[in-house]
Amino acid sequence: MAEIRTADTQMSTAALQKRESKRTVWRVISYVILSFWVLVTIIPMYWMVVTSFRDIGFSATFTPEWFPSSFSIATYIRFFTKTDAVQWLINSLFVSGVITLSNVLFASLAGYAFAKLRFPGRNMIFWVLLATMMIPAQATLIPIYIMVVNVFNLADTYIAVMLPFLVTVGNIFLMKQYMSTLPSTLIDAARIDGCSEFKIFRKVIMPISKPGVAVLAIFTFVSTWNEFFWPFLVTNSSGMRTIQVGLATFKFAETVDYGGLMAGSVIAALPMIVLFFSLQRYFLQGITIGAVKG
Amino acid sequence: MASIRFDNVTKRFVDEKNGGMFTAVHGASFEIKDQEFVVFVGPSGCGKTTSLRMIAGLERQTDGDILIDGRVVNTVHPKDRDIAMVFQDYALYPHMSISDNLSFGLKNMGRPASEIKEKVDYAANVLGLSHLLDRKPKEMSGGQRQRVAVGRAIVRNPKVFLFDEPLSNLDAKLRVQMRIELAQLHKRLGATIVYVTHDQVEAMTLGQRIVVMNQGHIQQIASPRELYRNPANMFVAGFIGSPPMNFFDAVLEGNKLRVGDMLLEIPADRVADYQGYNGKDIILGLRPEDIHDIDFAYNIPTHNQARVQVEVVEHLGAENLVYFRVGERMITAKVAGESSITTGDTPTFVFNMDKMHLFDKTTEQRI
Repeated sequence: MAEIRTADTQMSTAALQKRESKRTVWRVISYVILSFWVLVTIIPMYWMVVTSFRDIGFSATFTPEWFPSSFSIATYIRFFTKTDAVQWLINSLFVSGVITLSNVLFASLAGYAFAKLRFPGRNMIFWVLLATMMIPAQATLIPIYIMVVNVFNLADTYIAVMLPFLVTVGNIFLMKQYMSTLPSTLIDAARIDGCSEFKIFRKVIMPISKPGVAVLAIFTFVSTWNEFFWPFLVTNSSGMRTIQVGLATFKFAETVDYGGLMAGSVIAALPMIVLFFSLQRYFLQGITIGAVKG
Repeated sequence: MASIRFDNVTKRFVDEKNGGMFTAVHGASFEIKDQEFVVFVGPSGCGKTTSLRMIAGLERQTDGDILIDGRVVNTVHPKDRDIAMVFQDYALYPHMSISDNLSFGLKNMGRPASEIKEKVDYAANVLGLSHLLDRKPKEMSGGQRQRVAVGRAIVRNPKVFLFDEPLSNLDAKLRVQMRIELAQLHKRLGATIVYVTHDQVEAMTLGQRIVVMNQGHIQQIASPRELYRNPANMFVAGFIGSPPMNFFDAVLEGNKLRVGDMLLEIPADRVADYQGYNGKDIILGLRPEDIHDIDFAYNIPTHNQARVQVEVVEHLGAENLVYFRVGERMITAKVAGESSITTGDTPTFVFNMDKMHLFDKTTEQRI
């Protein structure tokens, strides 16, 4: 009996070693792939930062320099003094902030209703909303443009920039999925504890939905901040441009102000980096929703 | 405190899986008296939780009336029914401290801060939570969370307490402890309590009366002792008692029952009750504790006996469970722990027919 056990142990040790070495190989392969991906992600940002501190002026051709030979903040000074950059940043911040808040509020309310309230036609309405996501944005762009600019006469206003994005079906879907994971007994308990339906939403649902809201806020803020085409279509004056539309003005017919463009890009990227790191804890919780049993 | 009455209450849901309607509760009528501890028991999907949620106002009945303290509450919002509920998963607000969890309901009712503090301190004291008031639910054990959930109900001093399987997430030892604490709490508060469980041990130990439900129908409402001794039908007989009651296919032949090869004699004083079934197929019910190893059959008539082939023996310490077959049916006998019966033996068992139950084979109702 003892001999058999020893043989078993030896066999299992060999099997364990084999499994361990297999694991090591896979770990090395995954580290190599991930390292490559980190480089692919970081190099453009590194290049952007390095170039922003080189005053290379206006040029049609431009060779990258990996290790900067000179250091200058002239590009930043030019970016802030020669353009309406401050106004563009304020515009972007305002537009992205309002759209984010609006999406948090409306998508959460709608998500809560679809996830937890019982009303006639609930599933049908939800599926119709989801079906609208299949329509390509390009197909609705012109009708929306005609409505906003020609029908409502809102061209070159904040409302025009914000209107189509105040709440999106994608965000409603996200919040519905998140709120479906919350225990319904919490809502029952709050009802018995004397809460109105809105108070349940405000005092119970929203506080425990922070991870879902964080994901929604980051995605919405970043996508709105980076939005170029729609603000470009509906704004005319420099004072109404968002930062992304403003940055495009650094590209001229024959030349590009690479230094200024990169300085502006660094400034434009900063709020997103700050936002991500300040909400990172919630964000990481949020994107693993449903991955493990609570 | 208060009484609760169901007048022909029916609840139908839209069956989202199969379409159409699904009836969770069929025309239930009963009354729960003031300060009574009533347990709803039955298997999953029997309608017990739906009934509780209808009392709470979390579900609205399709037909019939529900009365609390004589007042029809069909359309009354849960917060205005003066009830408190303890949920299976405790339903503590995870973002609030224990103190805030306990006081949330009172704050919503607009009670003064001094009263809230007094009631929270009282409940925390009663349940041994005083040192945990600043913690969040996630920092507490299952048993502590369960106490907070009970405390949240106590602070409101409601007319009716509703418990929805509150012990099912606890381990066996803690469940026994909490069961005792709940019984003590009922005594101390003198409250009307409606308690839902699928565990018949909980039902038997806690309830003054038990409502046994199956597939939306009330099977029997009675005290634990009455349910055990005089089950109304085969469902109740099989559900109450552990291990469950044994059922034998039998034919009534005068004052005897033919069960396979066995001929068992019916107690003389009960023969007349069954004469309408003479010559007919019926079901004999006998609990495992009423089938005795002949070596340990004290103070019972021993003339109804049979030799059987034992298939399995389970040793539980104080007692053994012996399994054997009669016809197609597997039969369980609960014998003394000292019994020497082992698997494969052919011992003689005594069937205590004084404790027999007879059921109509078609209707499954008690004869």
